[in-house]
Amino acid sequence: MKRQIPVLLVFAFGVFTLFQFFVPHESSEWVYEFLLDWILIIGVFAMAVGIWSLFRVSVEKIKTRKSGWGYSYITLGSLIAMMVFGFTVRNGEAWGWFFAFVAAIVLAVFLVIQAVIDRGKAYLFAGLAGLCVAAAVVMAALDPAWSIHFQTAEGLQSTMFRAVFDYTLIPIFATMFSLLAFFIASAAYRAFRARNLMATLLLLAALIVMSRFNPFLQPILGEYVAKTSNWLMNVPNMAAQRAIIMGVGLGIAATALKVVLGIERGYMGKG
Amino acid sequence: MSRTGIVVFLVVCVLFVVSWVVKAGTGDPEGHYIRDGFLVTFAAFLTLAIMSFMYKDNPYYKFAEHLFVGVSAAYWMCLAFWSTLVGNLVPRISERLSNAFMVPHQPGEYNFFFYIPVILGILLLMRLSPKGGWISRWPLAFIVGTTAGLNFVRYLRSDFINQINSTFLPLAVDWQGFGHFFSNLSLNATGQFVAMFGNCVIFFGVLCGVIYFFFSKEHTGWFGRASRVGIWVLMITFGASFGYTVMGRISLLVGRLTFLLRDWLGIAS
Amino acid sequence: MRYRPILLFLLILLCFTTALGQEPTDETEGPPDTVVVDSSLLPAPVTNLQARDTEDDNGHSVTLTWDVSTDDGSGRDDVYMYMIYRSMSPEGPFDSVGVAMKGATEHVNSSSKDRAQPDFMPDHTDYYYQVGAVTVGGLITRSDVAGPVQSYGQFFNMGRIPVFVFVVVFCALVVFFVASARKGADLYVRPLAGIEAVDDAIGRATEMGRPILYVLGLGTAEMVATIASFTILGRVAKRVAEYQTKLIVPCYESIVMAVAQEVVKSAYADAGRPDDYDEDSVFFVTSLQFAYVAAVNGIMLRELPATNVYMGKFFAESLLLAETGSIAGSIQIAGTDEIAQIPFFIVACDYTLIGEELYAASAYLGREPILLGSLKAQDLAKAAVVIIALAGLIATTFGWPGFAEALHVEN
Repeated sequence: MKRQIPVLLVFAFGVFTLFQFFVPHESSEWVYEFLLDWILIIGVFAMAVGIWSLFRVSVEKIKTRKSGWGYSYITLGSLIAMMVFGFTVRNGEAWGWFFAFVAAIVLAVFLVIQAVIDRGKAYLFAGLAGLCVAAAVVMAALDPAWSIHFQTAEGLQSTMFRAVFDYTLIPIFATMFSLLAFFIASAAYRAFRARNLMATLLLLAALIVMSRFNPFLQPILGEYVAKTSNWLMNVPNMAAQRAIIMGVGLGIAATALKVVLGIERGYMGKG
Repeated sequence: MSRTGIVVFLVVCVLFVVSWVVKAGTGDPEGHYIRDGFLVTFAAFLTLAIMSFMYKDNPYYKFAEHLFVGVSAAYWMCLAFWSTLVGNLVPRISERLSNAFMVPHQPGEYNFFFYIPVILGILLLMRLSPKGGWISRWPLAFIVGTTAGLNFVRYLRSDFINQINSTFLPLAVDWQGFGHFFSNLSLNATGQFVAMFGNCVIFFGVLCGVIYFFFSKEHTGWFGRASRVGIWVLMITFGASFGYTVMGRISLLVGRLTFLLRDWLGIAS
Repeated sequence: MRYRPILLFLLILLCFTTALGQEPTDETEGPPDTVVVDSSLLPAPVTNLQARDTEDDNGHSVTLTWDVSTDDGSGRDDVYMYMIYRSMSPEGPFDSVGVAMKGATEHVNSSSKDRAQPDFMPDHTDYYYQVGAVTVGGLITRSDVAGPVQSYGQFFNMGRIPVFVFVVVFCALVVFFVASARKGADLYVRPLAGIEAVDDAIGRATEMGRPILYVLGLGTAEMVATIASFTILGRVAKRVAEYQTKLIVPCYESIVMAVAQEVVKSAYADAGRPDDYDEDSVFFVTSLQFAYVAAVNGIMLRELPATNVYMGKFFAESLLLAETGSIAGSIQIAGTDEIAQIPFFIVACDYTLIGEELYAASAYLGREPILLGSLKAQDLAKAAVVIIALAGLIATTFGWPGFAEALHVEN
């Protein structure tokens, strides 16, 4: 039963969405829209499972004193602090005791982790964690500068949530992305070293297209390079893309069909 | 930590403080200049920490990496909570909860159906219990089944049937006599010869490409030759795509350098 | 002044009869007494107006067709658009519900299916339509009323019949070949270098005492590329369990993580080593693209995996991952159906599965006849492509559009 019910569910919903494609009637569309909403909602619950996994792996690293375990505190601290930012909102211009509150919450979690790891001193760490929580509760109750908001998505617009997004996530994101410029150079160098017909063809096409965009080479090579580059993009490129897309379409269709029919069960741990 | 490591750490700390003081000093005295100074300096520090990865793995990169992971995971969690649970589910299942979260209640005749994903979501959470893992396969089966059926027909239509249709190209393009045919021999696409040649390349390119993806027939003889031409066409495409992307990536790097030089150091306009 | 009451009576009678002689007007035309129109300037109306339910849709939509006004493209040629009017009664009042451009002979009046929306149009309700020819000067001549017409949803989209035929044929092929494979038919599959390399790579990792890193990409669990990747992960995990090598699977999405844990756990059980399964070997990192890449890059440089396997959906991060793996000296095997990322994998990885090869890989790795059966069906579909494309080429070259139209799929 443990394996048969999921296979039946896959078959039932798979066949429904397959036929739904051919049934434009309102009732079929209505069920389809419901199903898509359901997937989104289940995704949020799954996220909780994911966050728990991240938490667990980080704690395990600290527990086993694995190389670089200290950095796990940064992951855990930033995770908790950002969550607090997402559920709090500043009421006026002043910050008040807000950062002390965040620190108290983060510290409380760290102390609980320590209590779990160090069973000998569990009561001491648990007591200290309790003190931190009490302090956080007092600060939350008495400080009028900010408040905990479980109402609307205001927390997301709160100053710290936005600030961390703008000054931490965005710079790291953009820098990681920009590293691609260096990596693409080393990848090109690697391609240069390859000495077979395939690599040569790849490189030749890459060089023609790249030289088209090069402001120094363009006046020397003239418009023939631009035209050849255009031709490469519009003709052989289109042919290969079409061949790949057709193959991918068939591959996706065949795999999806095997999933619906219960032939392919790799996703359930049974290939 | 080695002596060099300590020296580098001290230098980084000093530079950080100097930058913070300078940025706060030059900030808007009416605004939160201390906080803003810190944030800009921190952003610059993170940018350099990530870039230092190009040299080798180091404590600053590790710091930025772990911070990035923690912050981003919480960011998505908060976003999903507010936009999907509070924005999509709460208004449909309970008026009281909608009032508590201050979102407009959306009454509907069939809203009770929204309890099903909640139940499936709870079943998924059963993964966390040591013996309830098997029941969490039900919501997974629901998601996989629903989308498998969906993908099957949609990809068969968009990636297969529509692509076959687009391959129907006339090999003889608007024949206007030999004079016109040979008068425009360049890669300029308006020339008749090039247009016809292009259509031939597209057609036979697609055919050879498709032949390359045959799995159940040995690639020998004429079949093997067609398959080889197919992989050549694929390689030319990958090269062109590679070259095309290079320029876009370089402009990203320029964007980050602009942040460091203009927004942080203020030495470029 | 004794004739005064008679004069007053005559005046009232005159006003009354004049009012009776006026055409009735509706709100949409504005106050009639402010504009004096020379009827010779009015455009000719559209003719042959027909209204019918829009086909192959979910209802709430009516399609109108007409013959253009004789002053559109000919005559005075001063019609510049058509106004579409709708009413629930042939007498009106008619409301404006859309416009069509000059020269148009068809208009689809689609309305909302949501009762709460102001433009909601219920199905199975009589509606009447008029089309007004509008001149540059704003003069309008309305057509005769068409209707009644009712909108309703269909239970089968006839425009998708070619897709339906393909679906039925493809299903039949897959089922047939899977069934014949089950009966023991010998199915040849050509060797794929990337797949052959997987076993060697696992052996190498065991010899070196280093782990194997398996990256499922950025796809969600319901994407077929990720599903194919799960199957490959199952095979890799089984071999890893047999060789007693360490496996690391960092995940980008929570559901993907949940499924991957299930796959790896089951593979260890199949290999007869359920106790060796470490739940923390499959873990969630984060759902932000480059945060995930930063973490995976860190793992590559710190854990120094002997082999990195990238299978699934990849986007801009593909090169960052593959280059870092290359710098770390790992053997790398990649497979994706994202065309834009394949070049980067080709350049930076030792073996790359291109497009459809990713989907074939799961069948290859297992060498299970029922999975190989579907490969045969895919190949037959490709053979059909070659034949149809040749026929289409001949038809298009000789100017027979019917062939392409037969395969054309509406919406």
